[in-house]
Amino acid sequence: MIGPLVGVLFDGFAYGMLLFLLSVGLSVTLGMMNFVNLAHCSFAMLGGYVTVSLMNDLGWPFFATLPLAFLAAAAVSVVLERVLYRRLYRASDLDQCLLTIGIVFVSVASAAYIYGTVQQPVQMPDYLQGSFVVMGVNIAVYRLFLVGAALAITLILVAGLEYTRFGAQVRAAVDNQRMARGLGINVGGVFAVTFALGSGLAGLGGSLAIAIVGLDPSFAFTYLIYVLIVVSTGGLGSIGGSFVAAALLGISDVAGKYYVPQLGSFLIYLVMLGMLMWRPAGLFGKR
Amino acid sequence: MAETLLALHDVRAGYGDAVVLDNVTLEVPAHGSLAVLGRNGVGKSTLLLTIMGHTSLSRGAIVWRGENISRLASHLRPRRGLGWVAQEREIFSSLSVEENLTVAARPGRWNLKAVFELFPRLAERRQSKGNHLSGGEQQMLAMARSLMINPSLLLLDEPLEGLAPIIVEQLTGAIRRMAIEEGTAIILVEHHADIALTLTENAIVLERGTIVYRSGSRELLDNHALLDRFIGLKLAESADTPPAFSGQPG
Repeated sequence: MIGPLVGVLFDGFAYGMLLFLLSVGLSVTLGMMNFVNLAHCSFAMLGGYVTVSLMNDLGWPFFATLPLAFLAAAAVSVVLERVLYRRLYRASDLDQCLLTIGIVFVSVASAAYIYGTVQQPVQMPDYLQGSFVVMGVNIAVYRLFLVGAALAITLILVAGLEYTRFGAQVRAAVDNQRMARGLGINVGGVFAVTFALGSGLAGLGGSLAIAIVGLDPSFAFTYLIYVLIVVSTGGLGSIGGSFVAAALLGISDVAGKYYVPQLGSFLIYLVMLGMLMWRPAGLFGKR
Repeated sequence: MAETLLALHDVRAGYGDAVVLDNVTLEVPAHGSLAVLGRNGVGKSTLLLTIMGHTSLSRGAIVWRGENISRLASHLRPRRGLGWVAQEREIFSSLSVEENLTVAARPGRWNLKAVFELFPRLAERRQSKGNHLSGGEQQMLAMARSLMINPSLLLLDEPLEGLAPIIVEQLTGAIRRMAIEEGTAIILVEHHADIALTLTENAIVLERGTIVYRSGSRELLDNHALLDRFIGLKLAESADTPPAFSGQPG
């Protein structure tokens, strides 16, 4: 009785961590820079395709592809940020939505043109496959790895934003751009690096996610709604909030599908509604 | 003769197409000090914003140590040695006092220890968030934060506005120490004209964005008729009587 329940909780938590890995970059760019980047999952998809290409075409080991997935997404985002995004930092939310949803369409079409519309096969290394049993609970190795990766990224991000001078400059630039410039902070540079970091994290999240959710050109649209749910229910700009929201949403989604199959995939939206009615600014949001 | 730190030549500036300053020419030497006086809305704050690169400059030149910085990006001007204390203080609310001070700090004689000596109250509140400070504490933090970039010239925009007399006294002492003892050049925009004129060597008066009077600060302080005409300041006492504050270092 307890074993299956704990197993469902673990699987749900691992799925939540997958959502967190996909969404944490958006928490940084949307929450801290106030930029509505609907193309966030396009960067995640790019990371997934980088990993698939390097593994399947060039025979790279899985872990070696992860830094490249991060860097590729970050590099593409820097180009887009310098060429397109920065022009809309002070634009309305609608303008930002229209630009970034356009980028999603372009990315989906590009992926379909290059890779076709089929799911990409991906073979994880042996040591990340299979499962083991602990006290009657079946633990999938890859899901355990996802949980560890999410925890490590959370710690690094929180430490980086809260305890470094660069993190303070990011927060200062978000608080008051004019004053930040008046003190000599290169606000444009800080935002560009922050945007690259957020997009790189999306690329990394995409690489880590494809083993569980698969990869095809619809990825950029399919997971967009989930990352928006996580960031909005967690509270804009709160990495800890995104972590908690992702965990709750992941657990409720998996548990719902297991125990209340009639509701199926709809339960995650009900949970979101309930959480936002309880705390409209999100779990840890301030605005 | 002291090196000219900052010079404005025939500056016309404003916001978008709206011209606020016109035909403004002035110089500030190293270790010098200048009071900028005038009634509300004559362009005093715009003058400081223009020097910092936050307005549209449509004519003239801003020269810093011989270099034309008219087109220099605003974030590069503090790195040249220009410090700015904004009128609204503009404290970073999500940063602690210590983070506000160190976020853009540059090497020099002003460091955490020195600004905490200047403003002991900030040392007591070093872990408090910026939005949890009183108005006086915020003004101290705004001044200390600008000092932490170790400027050669500090632009102060109404640093005493809306503060309790005891805080005004502390801040006046701090400005005096910065300007006179430490030799930091200052441009001081201040409604308390009597105080501003005792803290500075020279003064200008703005009307409708143009300099209409310039002289030594003492000379203007002694001329009650001009003070009344330009800024509506009526000094009852003799000019020999010191203004009603004691500028002890805070």
